[in-house]
Formats: sequence, C-alpha cells, structure tokens
Amino acid sequence: MKKKTGFTIASLLLSFSLVAAGCGNSDNSASGDSKTLKVWFMGTSDTVKPIAEMYEAKNPGIKVDVQAIPWDTAHDKLLTAVASKNGPDVVQMGTTWIPEFAAAGALKDMSPYIEQYPSMKADNFFDGAVQTTQYEGKTVAVPFYVETRAMFYRTDLLSGVGYPEGPKTWDELKDASKKLVEKGGAGHYALPIEGKDSIYPVIFAWQNGSEIIDENRQPQFNQPAYVETVNFLKSFYDEGLSPKGTDLDTVAAFKDGTMAMFISGPWMIQTVKEKAPEIDGKWAVTTLPAKVTNTSSIGGADLSIFNYSKNPDEAAKFIAFMAEQEAQLKYYETSNSMPALKAAWTNEALSDPMIAAFGKQLENSRPAPTVKEYEEIAQAAMAAFEQITIGGADTQTELDKLNDKANELLGNK
Amino acid sequence: MFIAPAVILLTLFSIIPIIIALVISFTDMDLVGLADYSNIRGVGFSNYIDIFKDPIFLKSMYNTLIYVVIGVPLVVMASMGVALLLNYGSGWLFKSFRVIYYMPSITNIVAVAVVWGYLYNGSYGLFNYILSWFGLPAQQWLQDPVLAKLSLILLAFWKSIGLNMIIFLAALQGIPRSYYEAAEIDGATGWKKLRYITVPLLGFATFFVTITTLIGWIQFFEEPLVMTKGGPLNATMSMALFIYNNGFQLSKFGYAASGSFVLFIIIIIVTLIQFAVKKKEVEY
Repeated sequence: MKKKTGFTIASLLLSFSLVAAGCGNSDNSASGDSKTLKVWFMGTSDTVKPIAEMYEAKNPGIKVDVQAIPWDTAHDKLLTAVASKNGPDVVQMGTTWIPEFAAAGALKDMSPYIEQYPSMKADNFFDGAVQTTQYEGKTVAVPFYVETRAMFYRTDLLSGVGYPEGPKTWDELKDASKKLVEKGGAGHYALPIEGKDSIYPVIFAWQNGSEIIDENRQPQFNQPAYVETVNFLKSFYDEGLSPKGTDLDTVAAFKDGTMAMFISGPWMIQTVKEKAPEIDGKWAVTTLPAKVTNTSSIGGADLSIFNYSKNPDEAAKFIAFMAEQEAQLKYYETSNSMPALKAAWTNEALSDPMIAAFGKQLENSRPAPTVKEYEEIAQAAMAAFEQITIGGADTQTELDKLNDKANELLGNK
Repeated sequence: MFIAPAVILLTLFSIIPIIIALVISFTDMDLVGLADYSNIRGVGFSNYIDIFKDPIFLKSMYNTLIYVVIGVPLVVMASMGVALLLNYGSGWLFKSFRVIYYMPSITNIVAVAVVWGYLYNGSYGLFNYILSWFGLPAQQWLQDPVLAKLSLILLAFWKSIGLNMIIFLAALQGIPRSYYEAAEIDGATGWKKLRYITVPLLGFATFFVTITTLIGWIQFFEEPLVMTKGGPLNATMSMALFIYNNGFQLSKFGYAASGSFVLFIIIIIVTLIQFAVKKKEVEY
C-alpha cells in the first residue's frame, strides 16, 4: 500500500509540474542591467537577425530576442498570447489584423512615443501604410514594410496585340484580353481573376469609384458601382478570358504564354525570375489599369507594442530604430519586402524598374476597410463572388443578400 | 486510490476542458472577451439557435453525412478485403505490399496534399491525362462541387486503408488454424470457410474499425483544410472545418464552441447506436 501511495504522490507531482511548465512564464531573467527585448516576427528569423544585431551593437546592455513565427500559424499564436496576457514586447502585425487586435486592447497606444521619436512620424510613410496603423482614431502601430498589387505582363505578347506598355484602362484591358485569347487559341487565357483572394474584387471596386464600407459603417456591396465591378469581372469568366476554377499554375502559364498577364505582389518578381528564367527580358511590371482611378491595395506589416509588455519604453526605442532608413533598407536586402519609409525609396537599391513600378503604385493604394468585422465580411464577400461567377447566381440578388449580411455583421440592424 | 493518477489526469486534461468549452458555448466570447474577461456576456442558447439557422453549418452537416455514408463502408470493406488478400501468403511480395498499403497512413498530410493536388490538377494532372487516353473530357476534380467531395473521399480512403488493414491482419492471425482444419475435414470450401469462420471471428475487429472510422469521418478535417479550404461553394466544408474557421479564423469562440458541442453530441449518439446494434460477441 505504501508503495502505491508513493507512486500516487509522484504522479501527482509529475502532473502538476507538467501543468506548471505549461503555464510557465519564461520571464526575462533581468540579471544586472542587461535587458532582454522579446520580438515576434512573422516569417523567417534570418531576415531580422541582422537588423537586431545592428541594434544590439548600438545599444549595449540590450539583448534582442527575435522569434520567427510562420505566417500561417501566427494568428493562432497571437490569440494565445492575448489569452495568456503573456507575449512579446514588440510584435509584427499583418496590417489586416490590426483592427481585430486593437479592438481587443492588445496593442499599446503609440502616440506618446511618436512625439518622442521623430522617425515614427506619420509623414515619413506612405499614406496607405499609415491608414493601416489607425484604429478608431488611435495610432496603435508604426508602418514597417508594405506590399501592393501591380500588373505583371508579357511584353512580347502584349506588343503583339498592340499594348507594348501594358493596358492602361479597363477598356484596354478587356480589348487586350480578347485579342490575346483570340490569337492564342484553345487553352489560352488573358489573366486570372482571383475570386479566392478577398482583396481582388475590392481593388477593382475601388478603381470603379466604389467604397466597400463607408465611414458611417454602411456596406456598399449592392450599390451600382460595386455591382458593375462584379459584372465586369464576371465577364472575363463568361467570355473565356480567365480560367474558371483556377488551379492553373500562374508562373508555369506565364512562362509558356498561355496566360499573358496577372496581378500580384512584389514577391512574384523573384519567383518568376527563379522559376522562369527562359522568359527573362520578355516581361515587365506596371501599374494597374484605371477606370476612375487605378487604385491598388496596400498591405504588409506594422510594428506594435504588445499591451502586456513589461518594457514598453525599450520596445518603442527598438521600433523607432526599425523605422529608420538604415534598418528599412537592411530589411529590404534580407527579405525583399519593400520599405514603408518613403525616403528609403530614393536609394539605388530600389531603382530596379520592376520595383519602381510597385513604388509608383504605392502612391495610389489603400488598405482594406479597418473595421474589426472585416475578416468575416470579406469571407462572405468571397462566397458571394463565387456564387455569382461559378454558382451562376444573379449578381444584383446575390449582392443584395451580401449587403444584408454585412449590415447584420456590422450591427447596423 | 491506485486509480487516482488516471482520474486526475483525465479530469485535468479532458473533463475540465470539456466543461469550460460547454460554458463558453453559452457566451459571446470573441477576441475582445479573450483579452478582458469582463467583456464576456452570457447569451443563453442563442449560439445554438443561430448555428442551426446558419446555412453554412447545415451544409457542413449534410457534407459530413455524405462523407460518412460513402467513406465508412468503403474503408471497412476495402481494408478487410486487402487484409484477407495479404493474409494468404507470407512471401516477400506480401510483406512489401503490407508496407505499400501502410505507407499513406504515416505520411504527413501536407506532403500528401501537395502530391494529390498535382494528381487532381485540371491542367497538368495525372487523372486528366489518363482520361485523355480514352478521349474523355478533362474534369475539374477540386473545382466542381460534386466532384470535389468525391475527390476528397478518395484521398481520405487511400490514406486510412493502411491502418485499418493492420488491425484486420492482426485479428486474422489470431484465428486458430484448428477451426479451418476441422471445417476442411467436414468438406467446407474456401468461400464457406470465409463466410462461417473468418468473417464472424473478425467481428470484434470489424466493430472496432467501424467505430474508429466512423468517428474519424465525422471529424473529417485535414483533407478539406489543406486541399480545398471547404470550397467550392462550401461543397467540401465539414463540421470540424466549420468549427475551426469560426474559432481560429474569425475568433468567434462562443459560436465555435457551440458547434463543437453539436459535433460532440452527434459522435456520442452514433457511438451509442453502434454499441446497441452490435450483436453478441462471437466466442472462440
């Protein structure tokens, strides 16, 4: 019997120590005056490590502990950090997550620090990037890097149909597409219309002068401008200019010329260069075609101070350093992510014409609506777009339904 | 006293989480509530009422039913069939086929998804290439609402057959040779031996495989998550994926918890039915 009791106690202890380890607080062992700053980055750590080392060299006594979190698990990880109120000091936020986490009170108000550090001033960054750092009138982040969508096109094929510079307007886009498909024959498409990318139809709607959710939190999905946009995109499917159900590999199709254009972000420059060296010199990047405007979306990431941070002042100092030109250019070098700092764009590192096209597009780009319900509305909008283009639903009816749903999610009724 | 460790661990890691989830399912907990518990409000049964009015949830229940109805019998019969065939011999060929059938079960689902994604690809895929030999038109395996469901079933079927086959093989080898010898003396043919000795004596293994497979298919999750994300038009959305989407994509924890309780109750009911239907155990 004694033996069994001993065993019970041992296993009790074991189970409790397991629990304790689970909740364990890996505290900053603040020994002496050396402080550790915990920084969470999305992606791979080798992109940020060099910058962190630069910072450490300049600020002796501070250790920057960079933890890299893969993008697809980052949201879960942040949720856990909020739930346990125990996370990093500095956190990199995807721009679309800001409203959600700001509403949860997980991000510190940055305005006192912005007064303190001139490098964080809003004027230094692209307007679109600054908009992503705002939530209900408060500044909760500082822009870090930006991305936007622009038009990739095969110069040789587009020259063949009379648009060597790429299409400049919606009409030209449609005309070029028709000619490309006609010339190419079966199995040829002009460009993919990415219905599964929630920002894709939104970009076209902005170009058509439509709002998505206006400043009074009213969704605009069933208004004429948005409806017209969806019908315009739908016509690309209906006329066989875009592949339905896209599992066509974009780069492969771009390489063999069965798809002469696509709209995507700066990360595709490197991908196309690596995967399709055969077409070097036969493709280029340009700004998006315009209807009323040629607006594109702006995304990327911002830096925030986690509200449960124990070293907010140190965190702010680190962010101020990350907003400076030196760090921004270093990050461009290690990760190919484009600097949010406007001044950095005059550097010759960004003078490549393809990158410059993105720089030009950035001047006319805006973020997705910054309401915390947006993620769910975007999902519903994607589903509606799919119903219309693949499910064959009537555009106006489906968009009326979508608008009702969005109103409901926004709490408008 | 001696069961205390087991009871403590069970309470700590199973029962308490279930109770917490049950409580959460009656609240409007979201990210704001997670950050500050004072923002959580009780909403009574409204999560449960809303979820049964949610067309996507109803669709996911229907899809899950289809997965179960097609998937379970297919897996049980095919894995039993494969086990019977592999039990005939013990040469190197049979041994290597055991490995071949078992391989998918231990392969990472993401690796599987990449390979099957290419097989199913509408433009370069092997399946469409094979169809083209017979002059058949190319199919949109993962983009057509009906076909996508079947495509996922085929993938999951291929993946789950190995493990169940091993269970059947183990059970087959536990059947004493003397029964067959006695039957042979009485002049029983191969078919009769199978019908009256093998299948009845596999009863317990069949029961076990059926229950685990059934629960597995009710919780069908990884395949739609990595292959189709529930699309097109929610045609491959399973209940588990619906819960995941609401909980971790949209941070609607209360709503997701109520969905997981509906799923939990369905699994319990189905398992109880299984036990009720199960005939008396065959005695050796």
